[in-house]
Amino acid sequence: MIYPVHQRPDAAAHADAIAAEHGGAAVSGASRTLWGDAVNRLKKNKLAIIAVIWIVFIVLVALTADLWVPQVLGDPNATAANMAAESRLAPSLEHPFGTDSLGRDVLSRVIYGARISLTVGVVATGISTAIGLVMGALAAYYGGIWDTIIMRLADIFLAFPYTLFVVAMIAVIGNGIQNVFIAIGILGWPSIARVFRSAILSVKENDYVDAARSMGASDVRIIVRHIFPNSVASIVVYATMNIGGAILTESALSFLGMGVVPPDPSWGTLIQDGQKYLQTEPWLMILPGLAILSTVLAFTLLGDGLRDALDVKMKDA
Amino acid sequence: MAKKSSSYVDLKTKPVPEGRHLLEVDDLKMYFHTQDGIVHAVDGVSYTLDRGETLGVVGESGSGKSVTAMTLMGLIDMPPGKIEGGHVYYRGESLLDMTEEQMQHVRGNDIAMIFQDPMTSLNPVYKIGRQVGEGLRLHRGYTKQQAQERAVELLRLVGIPNPEKRVNEYPHQFSGGMRQRVMIAMALACDPDILIADEPTTALDVTIQAQIIELMQEMQEKNGNAIIMITHDLGVVADMADKIMVMYAGRPVEFGTADEIFYESRHPYTWGLIRSIPEQATDEKKPLTPIHGNPPSLVNLPSGCPFAPRCPYAVDICHEKLPEHHTTETGHYSACHFADDPEFVKFAPDTSRSRGKIATGTPDTLDDTLKGGEA
Amino acid sequence: MFKYIAKRILQFIPVFLGVTLILFIMQNVVPGDPIKLIAGERKLDEVTERNIRAQHGLIKTDADGNIIYDENGDTIETPMYERYFTYLTDLLQGDLGTSYQRGTSVSSIILQKYPYTVQIAIVGIIIEAIVGIGAGIISAIKRYSFWDVLVTLVTSLLVAMPAFWLGMLLQLVFGIWLGNVTGGAFSFPISGVAGPLAKYPDWMYYVLPAVTLASVSTAYTARIMRSQLLDVMNQDYIRTARAKGLSKGAIIRKHALKNALIPVVTYVGMDFGAMLAGAILTETVFSWPGIGRETYVAITQRDWPIVMGSVTVIVFVVMIINLIVDVSYAFLDPRIRLGSSKNEG
Repeated sequence: MIYPVHQRPDAAAHADAIAAEHGGAAVSGASRTLWGDAVNRLKKNKLAIIAVIWIVFIVLVALTADLWVPQVLGDPNATAANMAAESRLAPSLEHPFGTDSLGRDVLSRVIYGARISLTVGVVATGISTAIGLVMGALAAYYGGIWDTIIMRLADIFLAFPYTLFVVAMIAVIGNGIQNVFIAIGILGWPSIARVFRSAILSVKENDYVDAARSMGASDVRIIVRHIFPNSVASIVVYATMNIGGAILTESALSFLGMGVVPPDPSWGTLIQDGQKYLQTEPWLMILPGLAILSTVLAFTLLGDGLRDALDVKMKDA
Repeated sequence: MAKKSSSYVDLKTKPVPEGRHLLEVDDLKMYFHTQDGIVHAVDGVSYTLDRGETLGVVGESGSGKSVTAMTLMGLIDMPPGKIEGGHVYYRGESLLDMTEEQMQHVRGNDIAMIFQDPMTSLNPVYKIGRQVGEGLRLHRGYTKQQAQERAVELLRLVGIPNPEKRVNEYPHQFSGGMRQRVMIAMALACDPDILIADEPTTALDVTIQAQIIELMQEMQEKNGNAIIMITHDLGVVADMADKIMVMYAGRPVEFGTADEIFYESRHPYTWGLIRSIPEQATDEKKPLTPIHGNPPSLVNLPSGCPFAPRCPYAVDICHEKLPEHHTTETGHYSACHFADDPEFVKFAPDTSRSRGKIATGTPDTLDDTLKGGEA
Repeated sequence: MFKYIAKRILQFIPVFLGVTLILFIMQNVVPGDPIKLIAGERKLDEVTERNIRAQHGLIKTDADGNIIYDENGDTIETPMYERYFTYLTDLLQGDLGTSYQRGTSVSSIILQKYPYTVQIAIVGIIIEAIVGIGAGIISAIKRYSFWDVLVTLVTSLLVAMPAFWLGMLLQLVFGIWLGNVTGGAFSFPISGVAGPLAKYPDWMYYVLPAVTLASVSTAYTARIMRSQLLDVMNQDYIRTARAKGLSKGAIIRKHALKNALIPVVTYVGMDFGAMLAGAILTETVFSWPGIGRETYVAITQRDWPIVMGSVTVIVFVVMIINLIVDVSYAFLDPRIRLGSSKNEG
């Protein structure tokens, strides 16, 4: 089963905790030193550093793939005969990850798959975060009927069995990479909205917000100058973890054949291709899975590291 | 969970050896070894205590008063904590040399402790009766039934109305003052020799504070136990303590009888504490004088006297040399280089006029009228 | 308590209406005519197609079931709101409609498929509760030990890997590599269902799908258990218990566990609801004929009555489980149970 990040119980709890801590201890204007401190603490976290290095590595490889990675879609001049000869080769120096059933180099396809997976992860998270921030801000700051309507809507979205909902959404809008991140992005907003809402609510109770209001600051100014800087930590942590979740969802969709359209390689489609040869060439399915695992793990570890680094309570201890 | 091991002797039944005290703490040192360095949490604490006596331990937050108590209870996790020296004798037995299992017999049975925040010190998911009776079942081998009956009696003893009913209630159904009464009942269940009270009134309303202190004194008269009263408020111990130890930065800076501390104090830090008692100041028509600055970090203690950076009388030697204990014949000691200088101790706040009615911290008018009116 | 349950059920109604309405709107904007898909490559003749549409209420009929035509002799499409209303009134009578593809009633299809989902959900939740809670406790008690590191490592990996990939790895290891050892006991890459030729008792075939299904949530259970227990061990009342003279073991057993377990039990309970919602991916990997896979296939075939029917059932089941969990939470935690009677004394 896919576990979308918005259903991750500990992630939400942590983010809420950060929000609460933040509201309690941070003071607006102190955010620069807060981030400075956070970076310093993050540097001490070895796992987070490894995660950052891995993410940077994957991103660089994905960005520069065109320059050095051999043909990804197979040799256009290949004949049926030499395609058969080249197909499903075991890993070797020439093809470190072996070749697939069409004689294509699996390593190249995994590298190109990184592009798709990372793009989906980042763009889908961006969409969810944008929608979630607006919805959360409306709900928390204006309260009353806004709060009721938006939170009910979030309940409805969360009441859907997640995977079914994504699949149904793709069925409606069709598959292909744009639609994948639209579907994942749209369905991800309620969790971000909840996190941001509770962050705002906890910050809103603080005296300095009252003070700002009593001095006649406008709502927008209060949100932008006072509330956002104090909630941004939880949003950053949450979004980082969400990227991993979106990558997992994308791989699941592609595995079901409802995501990226072949011949474009996505890690999910590569696993799906490999499944047929589980008995004879298991590496075809193992290697793309490892790519997903390591990348999602990196985002999770980075999220954990950021969470700890931004946790004000940790700083005081 | 009754202790059935035959080798176990109830220490309370053992007489205090000739010439010894009930509790003797001698140059106790306990440091925390942390990533940031060694924290000198307890650094050379010494005092003695006998049955029926009350010792007040006074100091600011982080001065090591709670940690000292936790150390002799064996409640400090080791590591990060480590005993670096000194002795603790209870009825002549060395507590620091006891095994964890032996210490478990001492805790709750011989030495009991109550804590600052009664709201969080009781387990929310168990009924009051079970928690009060737990020690009896553990140390005395009471049955569930016996423990429950005794719990009702104890609750009645500490002034909780309708104890038969309340014994079956949960902590969240009690007010703060009532919970602290429950804590006292729980601590006194096994009739301990020593009751350590760690800021027992800090989290309570002022009116309730007086009641809780009175209750502790009442119980002490009945049971004859000793009390170690830990507080940051000199006023609280003023009228209840026989002896007072003033702590600063993990070190005892002055120790003596209550009268010695109040009227013959020989340490500038104690003077500062006396000057910051609000009642004292109004009584004397003097301005309230706070002690400026903050206590030092216990990791990087300044060389010399730890109080020197905040001491208005500090001279060069104070910043260079750690003062010894200057002890009088009565055992009153002060860790100040000038404690024996008669000219110097004239700087002490003039408390002579208030002798006998020194700041009680508890306005007299509250005494009887409010008692029991809190439930 | 009854007031609370009634309130929760009332709150559920708008959520349920919202979910079904969104799904209803979706099916109307989905490209592809579901009825035309029935025959696949072949084309239905016009009369049959019209009759099928009438049967499913897609075009208007009169009280006797005769198709109504407009002045041009064309059929009249039933408006969406009317069909939604019909769906709701039918639902109140326990009628979930009829499958486009198979022509059989949706209720019978769900009754046939749902038990498979329930089976692996039950095995899965048992695994999750035992392994997750056990690992969490060990990890917290032996903090920073080898076991703690191992639990942290394994849970991190489980959370970061696609569960369907884990399922394949399990098939690979137990079905293929260890095929000779296990004699195919755990391997059913083709179908998870024990056929008449099966050599082993049924439950053995549930293990791998159930492990796959429970993998991620077991990892979360372990993590929540660990952090809860560590959190509880720092509480003041644990210090009180130590000051009373309880041993470390007794403190954990008597004072810490009950407090720490309350949120964990809640999580495991909620997760049981999520498992009962079916798992498209696990069921696909193991060709498990459960409700998740059925719904997924129905979506790809645009067989909307099945999709609507199973989502209806799933959302109901999840709601009921969550309600039970909430109510039992109130029984586990006295602060909630007696919260209303606080003013009595």
